[in-house]
Amino acid sequence: MTSAGWIFLVVSWGAILGLGVFCLSRTFRRKA
Amino acid sequence: MRPMAEPGKQPREAWGSKLGVILAVAGSAIGLGNFLRFPVQAAQNGGGAFMIPYFISFLLLGLPLMWVEWTIGRFGGGFERSTAPGIFETVWQKNRFIKYFGVIGIFGPTVIYTYYVYIESWLLGYSVFALTGKYASCTDQASMSGFLQGYQGLVQNEHFSGVSTAYLFFLITFAVNIAILCVGLRAGIERVCKLGLLVLFVFGVVILIRVLTLGTPDPAKPEWNVNNGLGFLWNPQWGKLKEAKVWLAAAGQIFFTLSVGFGVILTYASYLRKRDDVALSGLTASTANEVAEVILGGSIVIPAAFVFFGPQGTAEIANGGAFNLGFVTMPLVLQHVAFGQFFAFAWFFLLFIAGVTSSISLALPAIVFLQDEFNLDRKTAGILFAVVTFNLCQVVIFFNGHGALDEMDFWGGTFCVVVFAMIEVILFAWVFGMDKAWSELHSGSDIRIPKIYRFIIKYVTPTFLLLILGFWIVQEGWPTLLMKKTPMEKVPFVIGTRVLLIDLFVLLAFLVWLAWRKRQTRGAVQ
Repeated sequence: MTSAGWIFLVVSWGAILGLGVFCLSRTFRRKA
Repeated sequence: MRPMAEPGKQPREAWGSKLGVILAVAGSAIGLGNFLRFPVQAAQNGGGAFMIPYFISFLLLGLPLMWVEWTIGRFGGGFERSTAPGIFETVWQKNRFIKYFGVIGIFGPTVIYTYYVYIESWLLGYSVFALTGKYASCTDQASMSGFLQGYQGLVQNEHFSGVSTAYLFFLITFAVNIAILCVGLRAGIERVCKLGLLVLFVFGVVILIRVLTLGTPDPAKPEWNVNNGLGFLWNPQWGKLKEAKVWLAAAGQIFFTLSVGFGVILTYASYLRKRDDVALSGLTASTANEVAEVILGGSIVIPAAFVFFGPQGTAEIANGGAFNLGFVTMPLVLQHVAFGQFFAFAWFFLLFIAGVTSSISLALPAIVFLQDEFNLDRKTAGILFAVVTFNLCQVVIFFNGHGALDEMDFWGGTFCVVVFAMIEVILFAWVFGMDKAWSELHSGSDIRIPKIYRFIIKYVTPTFLLLILGFWIVQEGWPTLLMKKTPMEKVPFVIGTRVLLIDLFVLLAFLVWLAWRKRQTRGAVQ
């Protein structure tokens, strides 16, 4: 895989996982 | 002022928890497309570069439509309306005809359900075959394709003499779906989605780890490795970004993967209370779908195919389409790994669960419509729905290969979805009015949505949808309507399917008319 490919993979995964962490933290913060 | 429940009416169901409704919507969105369609689309349309139009479409089309559906669904639920005809009327009370546009929100998912549940049953069948080793003698693409065709009843071969095995798995799958639906919202759908998504993500991660640790299985071909397999999917082909079809493919993928424009989210959200959050819930459900699609779906099938079939073979497999990848390539790949039977079972069962959590959501609008508008209990409504759709499924099963399934997918799964989404966003932003809509969206909200989305929802999303619809009508719609690509021998079956679909639409429109007449009569008496 080229370095550009790695950049796309890491940025995509990072964006989605980051959004996931944000959503879960907000969802459970209110419940607590 | 919201109305009191009518006397003698069934008590209204409700979600058990906030997480429950989020997982139900995520379960509806996460389907076969996440694991099979996405990698094929990405590989064919620019690799890593595909992610640029994909994320732009997510932000400008997917998320806005998700918020629109959650918001107007909850708003309609406040008036005890849970399906599109009633919900649309609560949004545009002065228009007598808007309820008939809402029929699309029951018709579309019902049509999709009839073929989706059959495809879902193949996955149950293959889960069993994986454990019993029924396709173990198939060691190349041709023989595995023959196995699939035999199972579907398209050919008779040493594996299958007819469609009877497929029919048995269809009966089991159909019964499972109806049983879940008849149990109810909280005890049925919510519980199944909570457990189902847990199993799906566990199996998904197990298969992902197995694929990413495949290394270089054939030392004679060192370049056939996982690293290059990921590169096959992720290395950007910048030139592809100049092609309009790549942007359309990305928009289409976002559209269908999030289950927006089906009418399903309207029904799920209608069971929320006025002060329940929709902004964060919509975002969370969308994100869960993206985890399943980009992280799991984007890292399993293509890299796995690459290490065993190389770049040329993987390109041919990807061009063969999503079903080829799921039912032919993956079982062949998993035959080569240790504990392959278990991993193959996990793969097909994961897809089966993804299918079940989607198909129950597709069935719900029609069942809830019968419940809400004709005051039936859940079981009676479920059984009525089962009788009608069981008969429609026979067309899909016995006319498979004659164009019936493709025709249903075209009208129910493509045309209706885009048109319905267009109606929803116009109702939300232009009829309801952006000030009122924005306030409704933030009622009880756990997050503040950036104000730029006021502009996006009002102008950008409808324009984006118009462009998709326009291109789609020119490229696909018109030629398909005129049957320009349909072989002569399939024409009678295609026409027969269309007549059936028109009958179903007319029946649903008549039921809407009847329900409203009953409602008016009740109102006059009271």
